Amino acid sequence: MFSGLNITSSALTAQRLRMDVISSNVANIDSTRAEYVNGNWVPYRRKMVVLEPKGEQFSTLLNKAMNKDTVTSGVKVSRIVEDETPYKLVFNPEHPDANENGYVQMPNVDPLKEMVDLISATRSYEANVTVFNASKSMLVKALDIGK
Amino acid sequence: MKIFSNTISILDQALDYSTTKQKVISQNIANVDTPNYKAQEVLPFKTVLKNELKNTKHLSAQITNNKHIPFPPSENGTVTIVKNNIQYNESGNSVDVDQEMTKLAENQIYYNALIDRISGKFQTLQSVIKGGK
Repeated sequence: MFSGLNITSSALTAQRLRMDVISSNVANIDSTRAEYVNGNWVPYRRKMVVLEPKGEQFSTLLNKAMNKDTVTSGVKVSRIVEDETPYKLVFNPEHPDANENGYVQMPNVDPLKEMVDLISATRSYEANVTVFNASKSMLVKALDIGK
Repeated sequence: MKIFSNTISILDQALDYSTTKQKVISQNIANVDTPNYKAQEVLPFKTVLKNELKNTKHLSAQITNNKHIPFPPSENGTVTIVKNNIQYNESGNSVDVDQEMTKLAENQIYYNALIDRISGKFQTLQSVIKGGK
């Protein structure tokens, strides 16, 4: 009965996680010491979420096996991947992590990309809130039958 | 005597359709950022029947007497289809948010109208039962 609301809330969770990842990227825009690998500090790598439709629930698979039409239920974050683009090199010989030529490896976070993603995530979140309210008001309206 | 004429069961089916439609719209909007997700759509039975009639092979009723009139199988309810050939943005996603929002508003009004009618029907019955008092 509440599956409509569950679909929407899965999307709200996913979009919120997306926003959290964007926050993490922006917060670590200058973090040159994210990991310590083989005696060297490695800068932060930009992270991205991978979204996929949720569909492995028992009910969905059963309906599929019975050739019944089924609405898959919601969306989920399948994993968080790292952006493999190269680090930015900044000339700053005074920096403790500078190499012998005076260059520092900075995280591959692009503030522009992050801002665009943030707006996109916010808008998607808002759209889902609208759907949530619509579904809720429909359920409430159904209680009016026979009044 | 049949108190509950067809009206209630028809309205009931319409409510089912509207609920499924709401679910599909939720699903589409939930997956608005999912790469390669294709938008789904609910077709009312009328449309499905029309499509099926075009390739009539599917529709063969058991005819045991040559005076029988062929009829479609009375499978009611709705069918969800996936719009596969549409790409709305570069990630392979085919959800058009504006369209979905419009459908959402439309579906809400439709649902409210159905609830209103079903309540009206019950009210009529009540009025009859009470003898107009």
